[in-house]
Amino acid sequence: MSAQERRPEEDGRDFADAMWSIPSYLLAGMAIYGGAGWLLDRWLDMSAFFPIGTVLGLVLAGYLAYRKFSR
Amino acid sequence: MITLTAPAPGGEFQAPTPNELFDLPPIIAGVEWFTKPVLLAALSAILVIGLTWAAFSKPKLVPRGMQNVVEYGYMFVRDQVARPFLGKDADRFMGLLVTLFFLVLVWNLAGVVPFVQFPVASHIAFPAVLAISIYLLKIYLGIKHQGAGGYFKNMMFPPGLPKPIYVLLSPIEFLSNMIIAPFTHAVRLFANMFAGHMLLAFFSMVGFWFLFEKLTPLGAGVGVVGVIMTIVFTGFEIFIQFLQAFLFAMLASMYIGGSLHAEH
Amino acid sequence: MSVLAEVSGNVTAIGYGLAAIGPGIGVGIIFGQGVQAIARQPEAYGLIRQNMLLGFVLTEALALIGLVAPFLFANL
Repeated sequence: MSAQERRPEEDGRDFADAMWSIPSYLLAGMAIYGGAGWLLDRWLDMSAFFPIGTVLGLVLAGYLAYRKFSR
Repeated sequence: MITLTAPAPGGEFQAPTPNELFDLPPIIAGVEWFTKPVLLAALSAILVIGLTWAAFSKPKLVPRGMQNVVEYGYMFVRDQVARPFLGKDADRFMGLLVTLFFLVLVWNLAGVVPFVQFPVASHIAFPAVLAISIYLLKIYLGIKHQGAGGYFKNMMFPPGLPKPIYVLLSPIEFLSNMIIAPFTHAVRLFANMFAGHMLLAFFSMVGFWFLFEKLTPLGAGVGVVGVIMTIVFTGFEIFIQFLQAFLFAMLASMYIGGSLHAEH
Repeated sequence: MSVLAEVSGNVTAIGYGLAAIGPGIGVGIIFGQGVQAIARQPEAYGLIRQNMLLGFVLTEALALIGLVAPFLFANL
Protein backbone atom coordinates (compact mmCIF):
# COMPACT_ATOMS: atom_id res chain seq x y z
CA MET A 1 0.00 0.00 0.00
CA SER A 2 2.78 2.43 0.81
CA ALA A 3 4.47 1.69 -2.52
CA GLN A 4 1.27 2.67 -4.32
CA GLU A 5 0.99 5.88 -2.32
CA ARG A 6 4.61 6.80 -2.91
CA ARG A 7 4.39 6.41 -6.69
CA PRO A 8 2.33 9.56 -7.50
CA GLU A 9 4.59 11.71 -5.32
CA GLU A 10 7.71 10.31 -6.94
CA ASP A 11 6.21 10.76 -10.40
CA GLY A 12 5.22 14.32 -9.62
CA ARG A 13 8.68 15.10 -8.31
CA ASP A 14 10.43 13.55 -11.29
CA PHE A 15 8.19 15.42 -13.67
CA ALA A 16 8.82 18.75 -11.93
CA ASP A 17 12.58 18.07 -11.98
CA ALA A 18 12.40 17.38 -15.70
CA MET A 19 10.32 20.42 -16.52
CA TRP A 20 12.59 22.87 -14.78
CA SER A 21 15.84 21.39 -15.97
CA ILE A 22 15.03 20.94 -19.67
CA PRO A 23 15.16 24.64 -20.65
CA SER A 24 18.25 25.12 -18.54
CA TYR A 25 19.98 22.17 -20.26
CA LEU A 26 19.11 23.67 -23.65
CA LEU A 27 20.40 27.10 -22.66
CA ALA A 28 23.55 25.66 -21.11
CA GLY A 29 24.27 23.59 -24.20
CA MET A 30 23.86 26.59 -26.47
CA ALA A 31 26.03 28.73 -24.17
CA ILE A 32 28.90 26.26 -23.87
CA TYR A 33 29.23 25.14 -27.46
CA GLY A 34 28.32 28.55 -28.82
CA GLY A 35 30.96 30.07 -26.59
CA ALA A 36 33.49 27.48 -27.73
CA GLY A 37 32.59 28.25 -31.34
CA TRP A 38 32.98 31.97 -30.70
CA LEU A 39 36.44 31.48 -29.18
CA LEU A 40 37.37 29.33 -32.18
CA ASP A 41 36.20 32.16 -34.43
CA ARG A 42 38.41 34.65 -32.68
CA TRP A 43 41.38 32.33 -32.90
CA LEU A 44 40.93 31.49 -36.59
CA ASP A 45 39.45 34.85 -37.61
CA MET A 46 36.38 33.30 -39.20
CA SER A 47 32.76 33.94 -38.50
CA ALA A 48 31.06 30.63 -39.12
CA PHE A 49 31.84 28.58 -36.03
CA PHE A 50 29.62 30.50 -33.68
CA PRO A 51 26.29 29.53 -35.30
CA ILE A 52 27.52 25.99 -35.89
CA GLY A 53 28.55 25.67 -32.25
CA THR A 54 25.25 27.07 -31.02
CA VAL A 55 23.14 24.67 -33.05
CA LEU A 56 25.43 21.76 -32.16
CA GLY A 57 25.11 22.62 -28.48
CA LEU A 58 21.34 22.76 -28.82
CA VAL A 59 21.22 19.33 -30.43
CA LEU A 60 23.56 17.79 -27.84
CA ALA A 61 21.59 19.27 -24.97
CA GLY A 62 18.37 18.01 -26.49
CA TYR A 63 19.91 14.54 -26.71
CA LEU A 64 21.00 14.75 -23.07
CA ALA A 65 17.53 15.75 -21.94
CA TYR A 66 16.01 12.94 -23.98
CA ARG A 67 18.35 10.27 -22.62
CA LYS A 68 17.98 11.45 -19.07
CA PHE A 69 14.24 11.89 -18.84
CA SER A 70 12.69 9.55 -21.38
CA ARG A 71 14.12 6.26 -20.33
CA MET B 1 0.62 59.42 -9.40
CA ILE B 2 1.22 63.14 -9.15
CA THR B 3 4.89 62.91 -10.03
CA LEU B 4 4.04 60.77 -13.03
CA THR B 5 1.71 63.29 -14.62
CA ALA B 6 3.70 66.46 -13.93
CA PRO B 7 6.50 65.98 -16.49
CA ALA B 8 4.14 65.16 -19.37
CA PRO B 9 4.30 68.19 -21.68
CA GLY B 10 1.04 69.43 -23.19
CA GLY B 11 0.34 67.51 -26.35
CA GLU B 12 0.86 63.75 -26.39
CA PHE B 13 0.48 60.72 -24.22
CA GLN B 14 3.77 59.35 -22.95
CA ALA B 15 4.10 55.94 -21.39
CA PRO B 16 5.91 55.76 -18.04
CA THR B 17 9.61 54.96 -18.41
CA PRO B 18 11.42 52.45 -16.20
CA ASN B 19 13.58 55.23 -14.83
CA GLU B 20 10.82 57.23 -13.26
CA LEU B 21 9.11 54.09 -11.98
CA PHE B 22 12.03 52.32 -10.39
CA ASP B 23 14.64 54.96 -9.61
CA LEU B 24 13.24 56.26 -6.36
CA PRO B 25 14.74 59.14 -4.31
CA PRO B 26 15.79 58.73 -0.67
CA ILE B 27 13.06 59.41 1.85
CA ILE B 28 15.18 61.27 4.41
CA ALA B 29 17.17 63.93 2.61
CA GLY B 30 20.61 63.22 3.98
CA VAL B 31 20.60 59.42 4.14
CA GLU B 32 21.34 58.22 0.60
CA TRP B 33 20.53 54.54 0.93
CA PHE B 34 17.18 54.76 2.71
CA THR B 35 14.80 54.72 -0.23
CA LYS B 36 11.26 53.40 -0.50
CA PRO B 37 12.23 49.82 -1.49
CA VAL B 38 14.55 49.57 1.53
CA LEU B 39 11.81 50.85 3.82
CA LEU B 40 9.32 48.38 2.34
CA ALA B 41 11.74 45.47 2.69
CA ALA B 42 12.34 46.32 6.34
CA LEU B 43 8.61 46.66 7.00
CA SER B 44 7.82 43.32 5.34
CA ALA B 45 10.49 41.60 7.40
CA ILE B 46 8.96 43.07 10.58
CA LEU B 47 5.49 42.04 9.39
CA VAL B 48 6.49 38.42 8.74
CA ILE B 49 8.36 38.16 12.04
CA GLY B 50 5.45 39.70 13.94
CA LEU B 51 2.90 37.45 12.25
CA THR B 52 4.71 34.21 12.94
CA TRP B 53 5.59 35.32 16.47
CA ALA B 54 1.98 36.15 17.27
CA ALA B 55 0.89 32.80 15.89
CA PHE B 56 3.52 30.37 17.11
CA SER B 57 5.00 31.81 20.29
CA LYS B 58 2.57 29.97 22.57
CA PRO B 59 1.26 27.11 20.43
CA LYS B 60 -1.73 25.16 21.67
CA LEU B 61 -2.76 21.71 20.59
CA VAL B 62 -6.13 22.96 19.33
CA PRO B 63 -5.29 26.17 17.45
CA ARG B 64 -7.27 29.33 18.05
CA GLY B 65 -7.25 32.75 16.48
CA MET B 66 -3.96 33.83 14.88
CA GLN B 67 -2.40 30.39 15.17
CA ASN B 68 -5.32 28.91 13.26
CA VAL B 69 -4.87 31.29 10.33
CA VAL B 70 -1.10 31.11 10.04
CA GLU B 71 -1.16 27.34 10.49
CA TYR B 72 -3.16 27.20 7.28
CA GLY B 73 -0.23 28.79 5.46
CA TYR B 74 2.22 26.51 7.26
CA MET B 75 0.30 23.43 6.13
CA PHE B 76 0.25 24.72 2.57
CA VAL B 77 4.03 25.13 2.53
CA ARG B 78 4.58 21.77 4.18
CA ASP B 79 2.31 19.76 1.87
CA GLN B 80 2.92 21.49 -1.46
CA VAL B 81 6.47 22.75 -1.20
CA ALA B 82 8.44 20.77 1.37
CA ARG B 83 7.08 17.23 1.40
CA PRO B 84 7.12 16.48 -2.37
CA PHE B 85 10.84 17.26 -2.63
CA LEU B 86 12.31 16.68 0.79
CA GLY B 87 10.34 13.65 1.94
CA LYS B 88 11.20 12.82 5.49
CA ASP B 89 13.70 15.68 5.88
CA ALA B 90 10.91 18.19 5.40
CA ASP B 91 10.67 19.16 9.06
CA ARG B 92 14.30 20.27 9.24
CA PHE B 93 13.81 22.84 6.51
CA MET B 94 10.32 24.08 7.32
CA GLY B 95 11.63 27.21 9.02
CA LEU B 96 13.57 28.25 5.93
CA LEU B 97 10.80 27.43 3.47
CA VAL B 98 7.99 29.08 5.45
CA THR B 99 10.11 32.20 5.85
CA LEU B 100 10.98 32.30 2.14
CA PHE B 101 7.40 31.82 1.05
CA PHE B 102 5.84 34.39 3.38
CA LEU B 103 8.58 36.96 2.84
CA VAL B 104 8.40 36.80 -0.96
CA LEU B 105 4.60 36.84 -0.78
CA VAL B 106 4.56 40.02 1.34
CA TRP B 107 7.18 41.58 -0.94
CA ASN B 108 5.08 40.88 -4.00
CA LEU B 109 1.73 41.90 -2.52
CA ALA B 110 3.20 45.29 -1.61
CA GLY B 111 2.93 45.98 -5.33
CA VAL B 112 -0.86 46.17 -5.29
CA VAL B 113 -1.58 47.62 -1.85
CA PRO B 114 -2.84 51.21 -2.34
CA PHE B 115 -0.41 54.00 -1.37
CA VAL B 116 2.45 51.50 -1.15
CA GLN B 117 2.40 50.14 -4.70
CA PHE B 118 5.94 48.96 -5.11
CA PRO B 119 6.77 45.25 -5.50
CA VAL B 120 10.03 44.98 -3.60
CA ALA B 121 11.28 42.12 -5.78
CA SER B 122 11.41 44.39 -8.82
CA HIS B 123 14.85 45.59 -7.78
CA ILE B 124 17.17 42.75 -8.78
CA ALA B 125 19.16 42.95 -5.53
CA PHE B 126 16.42 41.48 -3.34
CA PRO B 127 15.73 38.23 -5.22
CA ALA B 128 19.44 37.93 -6.02
CA VAL B 129 20.39 37.84 -2.34
CA LEU B 130 17.84 35.12 -1.60
CA ALA B 131 18.85 33.07 -4.64
CA ILE B 132 22.55 33.32 -3.82
CA SER B 133 21.99 32.22 -0.24
CA ILE B 134 19.96 29.20 -1.41
CA TYR B 135 22.73 28.45 -3.92
CA LEU B 136 25.41 28.47 -1.24
CA LEU B 137 23.20 26.30 0.98
CA LYS B 138 22.73 23.84 -1.89
CA ILE B 139 26.46 23.48 -2.48
CA TYR B 140 27.19 23.18 1.24
CA LEU B 141 24.55 20.49 1.76
CA GLY B 142 25.62 18.62 -1.36
CA ILE B 143 29.22 18.47 -0.28
CA LYS B 144 28.28 17.56 3.28
CA HIS B 145 25.93 14.72 2.32
CA GLN B 146 27.63 13.28 -0.74
CA GLY B 147 31.28 14.19 -0.25
CA ALA B 148 33.12 16.84 -2.24
CA GLY B 149 34.03 14.61 -5.18
CA GLY B 150 30.87 12.56 -4.96
CA TYR B 151 28.58 15.59 -5.28
CA PHE B 152 30.08 16.77 -8.52
CA LYS B 153 30.49 13.27 -9.86
CA ASN B 154 26.82 12.46 -9.25
CA MET B 155 25.78 15.75 -10.79
CA MET B 156 27.89 15.59 -13.93
CA PHE B 157 27.79 11.88 -14.70
CA PRO B 158 24.25 10.60 -14.28
CA PRO B 159 24.05 6.86 -14.66
CA GLY B 160 22.63 5.27 -17.77
CA LEU B 161 24.41 7.09 -20.57
CA PRO B 162 26.98 5.54 -22.91
CA LYS B 163 30.51 6.34 -21.78
CA PRO B 164 31.91 8.43 -24.68
CA ILE B 165 28.98 10.84 -24.46
CA TYR B 166 30.01 11.82 -20.94
CA VAL B 167 32.84 13.99 -22.18
CA LEU B 168 30.52 16.03 -24.36
CA LEU B 169 27.64 16.25 -21.95
CA SER B 170 29.20 16.85 -18.56
CA PRO B 171 30.00 20.55 -19.20
CA ILE B 172 26.35 21.04 -20.07
CA GLU B 173 25.22 19.43 -16.83
CA PHE B 174 27.70 21.41 -14.81
CA LEU B 175 26.83 24.77 -16.33
CA SER B 176 23.13 24.09 -16.08
CA ASN B 177 23.19 23.15 -12.41
CA MET B 178 25.82 25.50 -11.12
CA ILE B 179 25.31 28.70 -13.03
CA ILE B 180 21.99 28.80 -14.82
CA ALA B 181 19.94 27.48 -11.91
CA PRO B 182 20.58 30.29 -9.39
CA PHE B 183 20.46 32.88 -12.16
CA THR B 184 17.02 31.82 -13.35
CA HIS B 185 15.89 31.40 -9.75
CA ALA B 186 16.40 35.10 -9.11
CA VAL B 187 15.58 36.45 -12.56
CA ARG B 188 12.26 34.61 -12.80
CA LEU B 189 10.93 36.44 -9.74
CA PHE B 190 12.52 39.75 -10.73
CA ALA B 191 11.27 39.73 -14.33
CA ASN B 192 7.72 38.83 -13.39
CA MET B 193 7.48 41.59 -10.80
CA PHE B 194 9.20 44.16 -13.02
CA ALA B 195 6.98 43.46 -16.00
CA GLY B 196 3.82 43.40 -13.87
CA HIS B 197 4.65 46.75 -12.29
CA MET B 198 5.38 48.32 -15.69
CA LEU B 199 2.11 47.06 -17.12
CA LEU B 200 0.07 48.28 -14.15
CA ALA B 201 1.71 51.69 -14.36
CA PHE B 202 1.07 51.84 -18.10
CA PHE B 203 -2.62 51.01 -17.84
CA SER B 204 -3.21 53.41 -14.95
CA MET B 205 -1.39 56.12 -16.91
CA VAL B 206 -3.66 55.50 -19.90
CA GLY B 207 -6.76 55.74 -17.74
CA PHE B 208 -5.60 58.84 -15.88
CA TRP B 209 -4.39 60.67 -18.98
CA PHE B 210 -7.39 60.12 -21.15
CA LEU B 211 -9.95 60.78 -18.46
CA PHE B 212 -8.46 63.58 -16.38
CA GLU B 213 -5.55 65.24 -18.13
CA LYS B 214 -6.94 65.66 -21.60
CA LEU B 215 -10.60 64.80 -21.67
CA THR B 216 -11.78 64.57 -25.26
CA PRO B 217 -14.92 62.77 -26.49
CA LEU B 218 -12.91 60.25 -28.47
CA GLY B 219 -10.31 59.79 -25.77
CA ALA B 220 -12.82 59.10 -23.00
CA GLY B 221 -13.51 55.65 -24.43
CA VAL B 222 -9.82 54.80 -24.36
CA GLY B 223 -9.64 56.12 -20.80
CA VAL B 224 -12.49 53.90 -19.66
CA VAL B 225 -10.81 50.90 -21.30
CA GLY B 226 -7.61 51.86 -19.44
CA VAL B 227 -9.38 51.94 -16.08
CA ILE B 228 -11.12 48.61 -16.69
CA MET B 229 -7.84 47.02 -17.81
CA THR B 230 -6.14 48.33 -14.66
CA ILE B 231 -8.73 46.67 -12.47
CA VAL B 232 -8.66 43.38 -14.38
CA PHE B 233 -4.89 43.40 -14.50
CA THR B 234 -4.55 44.03 -10.79
CA GLY B 235 -6.54 40.87 -10.16
CA PHE B 236 -4.33 38.91 -12.54
CA GLU B 237 -1.26 40.44 -10.95
CA ILE B 238 -2.29 39.23 -7.49
CA PHE B 239 -2.53 35.70 -8.87
CA ILE B 240 0.89 35.99 -10.53
CA GLN B 241 2.44 37.33 -7.32
CA PHE B 242 1.12 34.41 -5.30
CA LEU B 243 2.30 31.99 -7.98
CA GLN B 244 5.79 33.49 -8.12
CA ALA B 245 6.18 33.32 -4.35
CA PHE B 246 5.10 29.66 -4.44
CA LEU B 247 7.48 28.91 -7.32
CA PHE B 248 10.40 30.58 -5.56
CA ALA B 249 9.90 28.48 -2.44
CA MET B 250 9.27 25.32 -4.48
CA LEU B 251 12.48 25.74 -6.48
CA ALA B 252 14.46 26.39 -3.30
CA SER B 253 13.02 23.18 -1.89
CA MET B 254 13.83 21.31 -5.12
CA TYR B 255 17.47 22.44 -5.10
CA ILE B 256 17.88 21.50 -1.45
CA GLY B 257 16.24 18.13 -2.06
CA GLY B 258 18.54 17.54 -5.02
CA SER B 259 21.63 17.94 -2.84
CA LEU B 260 20.32 15.83 0.01
CA HIS B 261 19.56 12.73 -2.07
CA ALA B 262 21.71 12.04 -5.12
CA GLU B 263 20.00 12.34 -8.47
CA HIS B 264 19.03 8.94 -9.80
CA MET C 1 8.48 55.73 -53.52
CA SER C 2 7.65 57.29 -50.19
CA VAL C 3 7.88 55.56 -46.84
CA LEU C 4 4.47 54.46 -45.59
CA ALA C 5 5.37 53.08 -42.20
CA GLU C 6 8.55 52.77 -40.23
CA VAL C 7 9.71 50.70 -37.31
CA SER C 8 12.35 52.27 -35.14
CA GLY C 9 14.15 50.81 -32.19
CA ASN C 10 15.17 47.22 -31.77
CA VAL C 11 13.80 45.01 -34.52
CA THR C 12 15.28 41.87 -32.99
CA ALA C 13 12.87 42.17 -30.07
CA ILE C 14 9.97 42.09 -32.52
CA GLY C 15 11.64 39.14 -34.23
CA TYR C 16 11.80 37.19 -31.00
CA GLY C 17 8.23 38.05 -30.17
CA LEU C 18 7.07 36.66 -33.49
CA ALA C 19 9.31 33.62 -33.10
CA ALA C 20 7.77 32.78 -29.75
CA ILE C 21 4.25 32.40 -31.14
CA GLY C 22 4.83 29.00 -32.74
CA PRO C 23 6.52 27.25 -29.82
CA GLY C 24 3.96 28.76 -27.45
CA ILE C 25 1.10 27.17 -29.34
CA GLY C 26 3.10 23.97 -29.77
CA VAL C 27 3.84 23.54 -26.09
CA GLY C 28 0.22 24.26 -25.24
CA ILE C 29 -0.98 21.56 -27.62
CA ILE C 30 1.56 19.04 -26.36
CA PHE C 31 0.69 19.38 -22.72
CA GLY C 32 -3.02 19.84 -23.29
CA GLN C 33 -3.29 16.60 -25.24
CA GLY C 34 -0.91 14.90 -22.82
CA VAL C 35 -3.05 15.75 -19.83
CA GLN C 36 -6.16 14.57 -21.66
CA ALA C 37 -4.46 11.30 -22.51
CA ILE C 38 -3.45 10.78 -18.89
CA ALA C 39 -7.01 11.47 -17.81
CA ARG C 40 -8.36 8.88 -20.18
CA GLN C 41 -5.85 6.17 -19.32
CA PRO C 42 -3.98 6.78 -16.08
CA GLU C 43 -2.03 3.54 -16.22
CA ALA C 44 -0.18 4.73 -19.34
CA TYR C 45 1.34 7.66 -17.40
CA GLY C 46 4.95 6.61 -17.91
CA LEU C 47 4.64 6.25 -21.68
CA ILE C 48 2.76 9.53 -22.08
CA ARG C 49 5.25 11.37 -19.90
CA GLN C 50 8.20 10.20 -22.00
CA ASN C 51 6.62 11.40 -25.20
CA MET C 52 5.46 14.69 -23.69
CA LEU C 53 8.97 15.51 -22.55
CA LEU C 54 10.46 14.57 -25.91
CA GLY C 55 8.04 16.83 -27.75
CA PHE C 56 8.64 19.63 -25.27
CA VAL C 57 12.42 19.48 -25.77
CA LEU C 58 12.13 19.75 -29.53
CA THR C 59 9.61 22.59 -29.44
CA GLU C 60 11.50 24.58 -26.82
CA ALA C 61 14.63 24.31 -28.94
CA LEU C 62 12.94 26.39 -31.62
CA ALA C 63 12.01 29.09 -29.14
CA LEU C 64 15.58 29.28 -27.89
CA ILE C 65 16.97 29.49 -31.43
CA GLY C 66 14.65 32.48 -31.86
CA LEU C 67 16.18 33.99 -28.74
CA VAL C 68 19.75 33.87 -30.06
CA ALA C 69 18.96 34.46 -33.74
CA PRO C 70 20.02 38.16 -33.73
CA PHE C 71 23.45 37.15 -32.50
CA LEU C 72 23.71 34.24 -34.90
CA PHE C 73 22.91 36.24 -38.00
CA ALA C 74 24.70 39.45 -37.08
CA ASN C 75 28.08 38.63 -38.58
CA LEU C 76 27.14 35.93 -41.02
